[in-house]
Amino acid sequence: MATVTGDFNINAEVDVESIEATARKARTQSLVRLLRYTLLKLVALVVTVAIGVYITIFVANMGGEVDNIRMATIRENVALTATADPVFRAMATEERIAYINDRVELEAKRYGLDRPFILRSFEYLRDAMTLNLGYAQQLTSDSGSRMVRNIILERLPSTLVLFGTANLLLFFIALFAGLSLSRRYGSFADKAVLAMAPTSSAPPWFYGIFLILIFAALLGVLPFGGMVGAPPPDNPLDYALSLLQHMILPVSAWLLSAIFLTTYNWRTFFLIYASEDYVEMAKAKGLPDGMIERRYILRPTLPNIITSFALTLITLWTGAIITETVFNWPGIGQLYARAIGAFDTPVIVANVVIYAYLLALTVFLLDFIYALVDPRVRVGGGGPKQ
Amino acid sequence: MDQPNETVLRARNLRLYFQTRRGPVQAVDGVDFDLRKNEATVIIGESGCGKSSLAKAILRLLPRNAGTYDGEVWLHDQNIMLLNDESFRKEIRWRRISMVPQAAMNALNPVMRIGDQVSEPAIVHMNMTKEDATKSAVRMLEHVGVPIDFLHRYAFELSGGMRQRSALAMALVTLPDVVILDEPTSALDVLTQASIMNLMKRMKKELETSFILITHDIATSSELADNVAVMYAGQIVEVGDARRFFTKPLHPYSHALMASVPRLRETIEPEFITGQPPSLLNPPTGCRFKDRCPKRFDKCDEAPPMFIEEGDRQVRCWLYDDAIQMSRPEYQVVA
Repeated sequence: MATVTGDFNINAEVDVESIEATARKARTQSLVRLLRYTLLKLVALVVTVAIGVYITIFVANMGGEVDNIRMATIRENVALTATADPVFRAMATEERIAYINDRVELEAKRYGLDRPFILRSFEYLRDAMTLNLGYAQQLTSDSGSRMVRNIILERLPSTLVLFGTANLLLFFIALFAGLSLSRRYGSFADKAVLAMAPTSSAPPWFYGIFLILIFAALLGVLPFGGMVGAPPPDNPLDYALSLLQHMILPVSAWLLSAIFLTTYNWRTFFLIYASEDYVEMAKAKGLPDGMIERRYILRPTLPNIITSFALTLITLWTGAIITETVFNWPGIGQLYARAIGAFDTPVIVANVVIYAYLLALTVFLLDFIYALVDPRVRVGGGGPKQ
Repeated sequence: MDQPNETVLRARNLRLYFQTRRGPVQAVDGVDFDLRKNEATVIIGESGCGKSSLAKAILRLLPRNAGTYDGEVWLHDQNIMLLNDESFRKEIRWRRISMVPQAAMNALNPVMRIGDQVSEPAIVHMNMTKEDATKSAVRMLEHVGVPIDFLHRYAFELSGGMRQRSALAMALVTLPDVVILDEPTSALDVLTQASIMNLMKRMKKELETSFILITHDIATSSELADNVAVMYAGQIVEVGDARRFFTKPLHPYSHALMASVPRLRETIEPEFITGQPPSLLNPPTGCRFKDRCPKRFDKCDEAPPMFIEEGDRQVRCWLYDDAIQMSRPEYQVVA
């Protein structure tokens, strides 16, 4: 440190008031930007989900063609019922036709088929978006309810517990592994991860089958599937332990199918960002290595990591249905597979809606974190691009 | 003549080679130079002559492929080359030697507020509390002309000039002995360049810090320079005080450099130096400038030592060998 400091007064008065004032201003500004950004994202996502669900409704109804099929079914049923009725048999031909037409109209009205499909499609959309999901045709909830909402709500927690855990683990393991590999770039571990990266082309359930074979069938150390042992333990602690034991294999399968590629991706991000000028400056500034890694490598890279993670999750969600089925996990993925098997249309549509919401929620959360870690996003294109 | 200021930084036979697949690149090859207190030494050279590597060698910012790295760097009476990496980081970097990087555009972390980045070295090296560090950051930012409400902004919200000022404030916040300016104005427009140069002149006067200014811009550097060192192909070929250097350079390469600067209101066409600077991979034996030198003669195949000229000027050229000047009068250098 220079001992003599010329005309510069190192003890000059500093206007603490104005520092605090600008700090307050900056905080409010950040908050306003964050809120505006979050609100915009929310609106965009709701619109996206609505469009997705509407397309599903439109396709599931074949653009209104299903109405004709249903009308034909109604007419056939009415005619069959009528012929069994002695009063009907006593009628004249015109009367019979009028009677049948009346009954068909009544039935159509009951199902709402008298109004144009386009109008009703928007009512379906409203019902779907507000999770007013109607009644199942075949399936029931464990408590015996036919309401699709009950069936799904009963299974949603199991899905969230499994994939929430798996994805959080995936995120943090890949993050720290990626950081440590970028530090030891070119080492044996680095090359090993690179070599293993192509294994991520197989979906989680593929690894699930092998894991079940090895650890359940051959070694017999872990359960084949299910969520808790049978009968479920009464003690909450035992219940949690049993749940953990059952989660090991599905979570491992999930991790195995994504961890190598994700780690390799992120390690490359870290390497790219570690060669930025400001990292060199941080070294010149004599900051400790840990601080450089946190503030100058991890934080600027985090937005890219989050984008990459969002994309990984979107791909992985689609594998959730079969993974749950393979592990006999009582979640909505397994429900979806069963609903398809039982041709239970309301449950299938409801599942699509729930998946759309889950996906949108994931993306929304990640976007929110993105805005927290990257000030450039919050400005909304106001600042010059770097 | 004034009593010369005490020497702050002395480099002796400093070498930094980079390992490449085709062999070592001799980016800094045996550099000697002195920096006195409150003076600015300008290191002038073409792109690729090793001047930025010299800055890195002084601050020990070695890339992964660094090979040979030796010599002596004396800061006051301490040879800082002998320190281990951890004490070098704690005692030297930014505490006593700081730098303003080549492109301040990318030298600021995009996701940290300016104030936090400027105050960071004070917290790390001077054990200041966050409040005190923020205060010294504010003092220094105001001193270099950055308004106080920029404290909580991000780099992308600042203009190029403001970023460069912030980088300068960051370099000065710990009041180091030496500030290395690595082409601090090369990415800026001419008007901003001028205001930054003026700012640095003012800083030099007010803070009594010593500067090493690394640049290829001879015209701008003459503003700040007290001493000039000309670097060519990893070596220093001429050292001297700025006044005499700019009026009468000694080395043929310095001549050529000065002749290449366009001048206002003069009819002399700026000249260019023929040929390419030599590869630092296999630098030519003997004088490294000989292939492009208009005054080349047979002696140039031997490596020239530093000759002392006019008492305190140094030049690495056989033309200044007294013996040669005696025997070959036709080679006498007369300005």
